[in-house]
Amino acid sequence: MQKSVISIGPYHPLQEEPELFMLTVEGETVVDIEVSIGYNHRGIEKLSERCNFDQSTFVIERICGICSTSHPFAYTRAVEDIIPVEVPERARYIRTIIAEGERIHSHLLWYGLAGHFLGYNTVYMWMWKLREEILDVMEILSGNRNNYAMFKPGGVRRDINSDDIPLALKKIDAIIPTLDRLKKAILDDPVLHARLKGIGILTKEEAVDYCALGPTSRASGVARDVRKDAPYGAYDRVDWDMIVTESCDVWGKAVVRLLEMYESIKIVKTCLQNLPGGEIDLNIKSIPPGEGIGAHEAPRGETFHYVRSDGTNRPARHKVRASTFMNLPTLKATVPGSSISDATIILAAIDPCYCCTERMAVRSREGKKLYGGQELIRLSQEKTKKIKREMGIK
Amino acid sequence: MKLPKIRELLEAVKAFTHKPYTSKFPFQPHEPYPSFRGQPEYNVDKCLGCLTCEEICPAEAIAHQDNTNGSAPKRVMIHYTDTCIFCGCCEEACIADHEGIKLSNKWELAFFEREKAFETIEKDLQLCEICGSVIACKDHLKWIAEKVGELSFSSPTLYQFRFKSLGVVDDNIVSAVKDYGRSDRVKILCARCRRETTLTTA
Repeated sequence: MQKSVISIGPYHPLQEEPELFMLTVEGETVVDIEVSIGYNHRGIEKLSERCNFDQSTFVIERICGICSTSHPFAYTRAVEDIIPVEVPERARYIRTIIAEGERIHSHLLWYGLAGHFLGYNTVYMWMWKLREEILDVMEILSGNRNNYAMFKPGGVRRDINSDDIPLALKKIDAIIPTLDRLKKAILDDPVLHARLKGIGILTKEEAVDYCALGPTSRASGVARDVRKDAPYGAYDRVDWDMIVTESCDVWGKAVVRLLEMYESIKIVKTCLQNLPGGEIDLNIKSIPPGEGIGAHEAPRGETFHYVRSDGTNRPARHKVRASTFMNLPTLKATVPGSSISDATIILAAIDPCYCCTERMAVRSREGKKLYGGQELIRLSQEKTKKIKREMGIK
Repeated sequence: MKLPKIRELLEAVKAFTHKPYTSKFPFQPHEPYPSFRGQPEYNVDKCLGCLTCEEICPAEAIAHQDNTNGSAPKRVMIHYTDTCIFCGCCEEACIADHEGIKLSNKWELAFFEREKAFETIEKDLQLCEICGSVIACKDHLKWIAEKVGELSFSSPTLYQFRFKSLGVVDDNIVSAVKDYGRSDRVKILCARCRRETTLTTA
């Protein structure tokens, strides 16, 4: 059969970062995928080296819009590693609360988008409605729905007002029944089972070989989580479980994310209830020359930062490694063998940041056939409809 | 197979009886939570014009302009709404008890023209009496004089300014010639002129 190449990119329709996937297809089946990363140079690391240690936090926060706490968390840990210092107890708890709140809203966002790709626009609406509640909680606690500006080397910038805690707890409690309902709706749905089970298989060995991180690896049975492996913040002071499934497919990733939200809610609630008193900031005056590394388990996996100081008030070198960088190559193992309509959800299953710039084109070698991002979503939704028809659901 | 359908049906029935989740935004104003970080606003009475906020701002959203030409020299503090990231560093660093610039609850900050997306306040400037260069804002000098108390008598710039603001010294006595003489040492001077008068007069 004639092979043709589908290019997804250089701006990925599902992801914030520009990157290029070249899918080689035979008919409807993808036989090979080529992943190219590094299309865009944002100059964030250089920009961070221009700012001082406190100001860098705000540049770093804007690497990613959805996981806007993961990068500052890893960065501040790296800077604290240079000195080295231990953050005050109250600051540890506040950091954990913000980081986990972010995980909940990030997973909800992924669920909404996954639902949209599969043609479940009700899931999309419900999840994003639920996400609003979490964003409200974050606004109460930090002053903004996103980009919380809470982190600084040596502590946190702003304290959580004790008057706000009851309202935040009430809002979080109100989320749980809705989340329960959605959990049942997703886990029971026969069409979702048929659609997601057995596609995008990433075996345990492959997950280890590709160094997959976060939910991508935990869905393949690799128990890997920075929060458990090398506890920081208040993660060792709170009781929570690491969610690991063995199913290795897209369904497994969905289940990991769903159950992780419950763990995050548990952590946020416990931290808010047991918030210790005391200082929130160490007021670090100077950073000595040296090197430091910091890691944080972002919603998508481990985020890693390296900072080198030369004794001035600016980082001499700052290196950022986001989790998606490690998860993208796993597509090489998961996508081949699936159909184009499944490729949409497999590409989305590693939870890369979603892109508002849809500049995707699908064409045969002769340049006859043209698909955009919208058409791919339509293809995916049509497959769900087809499965529904076959199963006799209207 | 049946259970999910029944649950969906229940949801649908419930949705009929419930109000829409979304708010009627343009007709009903949105009230953010009190802790919300909105547009930073200058307080003209409290701000000292010391430029700490400009120094600390990570987004370089704060700038200043010194107008020394007119009879009343002014410092214009500019806050660019479009560049601001609402991090609250300016409020945190403000030396006037965090009240010179404060984050408000304002969130409707849309502009049609980006060039107009800024807000300004004006502060009176104190100029050097010899060379006419900028020393600091009047409020800032007053704040320093009050802060250091009687120690301000070690600096002629500070105590002369304090006397003038209290009306103890006649405002109009300004020597017309730049003689760098002994009398110049008890004037309000910039750092360069202070050094020159001190070094050149015996």
